[in-house]
Amino acid sequence: MNRIFTLTAVAAAITLSGCASFKNAAPGDPLEPINRGIFSFNSTFDHYLLKPIAKGYDAVTPAPVKQGVSNVFQNVSDAQSVVSDLLQLKGAKAGDDLGRVLLNTTIGLGGIFDLATPMGIERGNEDVGQTLGYWGIGAGPYLVLPFLGPSSVRDTVGRVAEGQYDPVSAVSSVPARNSLTGLRIVDARVGVFPLEALANQAALDKYTFTRSAYLQRRESLVLDGKRPKE
Amino acid sequence: MLFRKWSFQFTAALVGSAALAVFAQVTPDAQVKTVATEVTTVLKSDPAILGNQAKLRDLIESKLVPNFNFARMTQLAMGRNWTKASPEQQATLTKEFRTLLVRTYSSSLSNFKNNTIDYRPLRMQPNETDVTVKTVVQQANGQGIPIDYSMEKAADGTWKAYDVAVAGVSLVTNYRDEFNSVIRDQGVDALIKQLQSKNK
Repeated sequence: MNRIFTLTAVAAAITLSGCASFKNAAPGDPLEPINRGIFSFNSTFDHYLLKPIAKGYDAVTPAPVKQGVSNVFQNVSDAQSVVSDLLQLKGAKAGDDLGRVLLNTTIGLGGIFDLATPMGIERGNEDVGQTLGYWGIGAGPYLVLPFLGPSSVRDTVGRVAEGQYDPVSAVSSVPARNSLTGLRIVDARVGVFPLEALANQAALDKYTFTRSAYLQRRESLVLDGKRPKE
Repeated sequence: MLFRKWSFQFTAALVGSAALAVFAQVTPDAQVKTVATEVTTVLKSDPAILGNQAKLRDLIESKLVPNFNFARMTQLAMGRNWTKASPEQQATLTKEFRTLLVRTYSSSLSNFKNNTIDYRPLRMQPNETDVTVKTVVQQANGQGIPIDYSMEKAADGTWKAYDVAVAGVSLVTNYRDEFNSVIRDQGVDALIKQLQSKNK
């Protein structure tokens, strides 16, 4: 599901880039006119569909259930993180993430309970996009993907690669897989509520604000939080 | 009579410099901790304050604002565009940017009410005048959000923050990108207009 979205997005971006005008594009964002178009499409989609669903889910679901759902998806991404830890030769992080997954999947009942965090085993929080960055590959042009939101060429490649070993897309029953994917999207959307309120108050132009925040955040993740001082 | 006046002035100067010396010994991380503790204590003892815009603004103006250097923040956010602005434009920009930041801060405080803050140890040389104080806000769900304060020592020995980075996203850099794109396309006056209408 995610993979199809991503591939369509990349194809659309490449096709559209042939006929777009770039005269006012900011550095790092040569596709700004197209990106802005997709950004406003995403905002509309979010406003009429995704956000109302996420709000409903947030309102009717008891807090412990929501936490459990978040934990399960976090556990899945911790498992994927192990691969990226290893690819970056970060042994300690790989050990921590693997320990988290083993502990949370077994005693934490399939990841519903996050027992590792209170024990001080921190999340490595690595992905393939960061791994490419770690080995010196720049972010490339900023991309806004349809439905998925902010990304970059590098991070989109990472996303596609990660889709190959995503436990959710390996679920064989189609209805179950689709429900899980939907739930994952809604869970992620609920997680953005506090940030969204902040961005609404802070941003002059949400597109530029989001782009800058995304690119800075990714750079910081690549450097594991060791932001170089200006 | 004259002697008494002198001696009074001399004493006042002594007391003054002693106060300064005490102030200068406050390390930037201790200062951040003191301020954050004061604010969270008020919020915990009087949660209704979050629903009261005027009271909230008062709290921020009295406790938080004196610890920030808004002139420097505006200048950094403007980057190379700063010299393109006239002194009047610079003054208006600083005033409007300050208002926007204070409002953003007050609206984000409500997200922080149930959180605890961890302070990372600060390694600094005694003569350093520019440091980054690292904190981690622990949310109720166990996830930590790193918040770093870039702080500079002023001539009077007090520390003032000139940038805040939330999860690696620097406020100043974010606004620099926004300001840049407005100024590039429409000029400094358009930026001032946008800030003013945002603050209305």
